[in-house]
Amino acid sequence: MNRKHLRTGIGLAGLVTLALASAATGQSTTKIWTSDVVADRQRLMKLNGASWADAQAKLKAGNAEAVAANAETMALTATMIPALFPEGSLTDKSKAKPEIWQKWPEFEAAAKNMGAQAEKLRDAARTKDLVATEAVAKDFGRQACGTCHQPFRVPPPQQQTPAPPPQPQPR
Amino acid sequence: MEFRYVRAGIVLGGLVALVVTGCATGQKSTMGPAETVAERQRLMKNVGANWADIQAKVKAGNPEAVAANAEAISLHAQRIPGLFPEGSLTDKSKAKPEIWQKWPEFQAAAKNLENRAGTLRDQAVAKDAAAVTTTVGTFGRDACGACHTPFRVPPPQQQPAAPRT
Repeated sequence: MNRKHLRTGIGLAGLVTLALASAATGQSTTKIWTSDVVADRQRLMKLNGASWADAQAKLKAGNAEAVAANAETMALTATMIPALFPEGSLTDKSKAKPEIWQKWPEFEAAAKNMGAQAEKLRDAARTKDLVATEAVAKDFGRQACGTCHQPFRVPPPQQQTPAPPPQPQPR
Repeated sequence: MEFRYVRAGIVLGGLVALVVTGCATGQKSTMGPAETVAERQRLMKNVGANWADIQAKVKAGNPEAVAANAEAISLHAQRIPGLFPEGSLTDKSKAKPEIWQKWPEFQAAAKNLENRAGTLRDQAVAKDAAAVTTTVGTFGRDACGACHTPFRVPPPQQQPAAPRT
C-alpha cells in the first residue's frame, strides 16, 4: 500500500518536472527560428547557395578579397545545420534522406566538414590572393556541398541522372 | 504516514526527471561566458562584413547583388538574443548591462535588424535598385545604430572627440 503511494508520488513529480523543464527549454529544442523547422533549414541552405553564387561571381570578376564575407557566412551557417535536422522532421516538402538519422555521426561530420572548407576559403580570400582563392573554390562545390548532398539529400530534378531510354516493347 | 511516502516519491521522481532533462538539454548550457562572447563577436563581425560588402556593391553600381548579404544579416539577426544569455558580460565584451535591464527592447532591436535586412533583401530580389540604394542610405543608423547606440560600448574611433581645452 505504501509502495503504491510512493509510486504515485514519483509519477506525479516526474510529470510536473518534465512539463516545467520542457516549458523552459522548449524554445531551444523544438524551435530554432519559426515553428517550421523544414522551412527554416531550407531558408538556411538557400542562403548557403546564394553566398556561394556570390563568391563565384566575385572570383569571376577577379575580386578574391570580397569572398571572405561569403565564406565566413557559410562557415557560420554550417554550425547551425545539425540542430535544424531534429529526428522526425522529414516531411513531404523536405529533400532530406532518412540516411541523415540512420548515420547521424556521419551527417554531423559532413556539416563540420562544410564549416572547415568554408573557413579554408575564407582564409584564402583574406590573403587577397586570387590564384590561391580560386584553387580552394575549384573543389568547394564537390568537397563542401557534395560530400553532404550526395549521401543525405534527394537530388533536385535537374541533377538526377537521366532515366535510361525506354526499351522497345517486343511484340 | 502514507503521505510521507508520497512526499518521498515526489522528491525522488523530481530528481530523476531533472537529471534526465538536464542531460538531454545540457548541450546548450555547456557554453561558458567566454565562448559565448567569442561566438557572438564572430557573428557580429560577419554582419559587419556583409554590410561592408553591401556598401561596396552599391558603390560599384551593383545594388541588385546585395540580396545574399541582406539575407545573411537577416538570418544572423535571429540568433542575436540567444547569444546574449544573462551573465555573459565579460571584460572582452562591449555589451552594456542595459541589454539585460531592458531585455524586451533589446529583443525588439534585434527583430528590427532582422526586418530591415529582410526588406533590403526583398528589394534586391525584386531588382529595385532605387529602393535598395534608399534603404542602404539609412541602414547604418536605423538597423545597426538603433541597437549599438543604447546597447554597445562605442569602439574608440567612434567615440565623440573630447572637447578642446
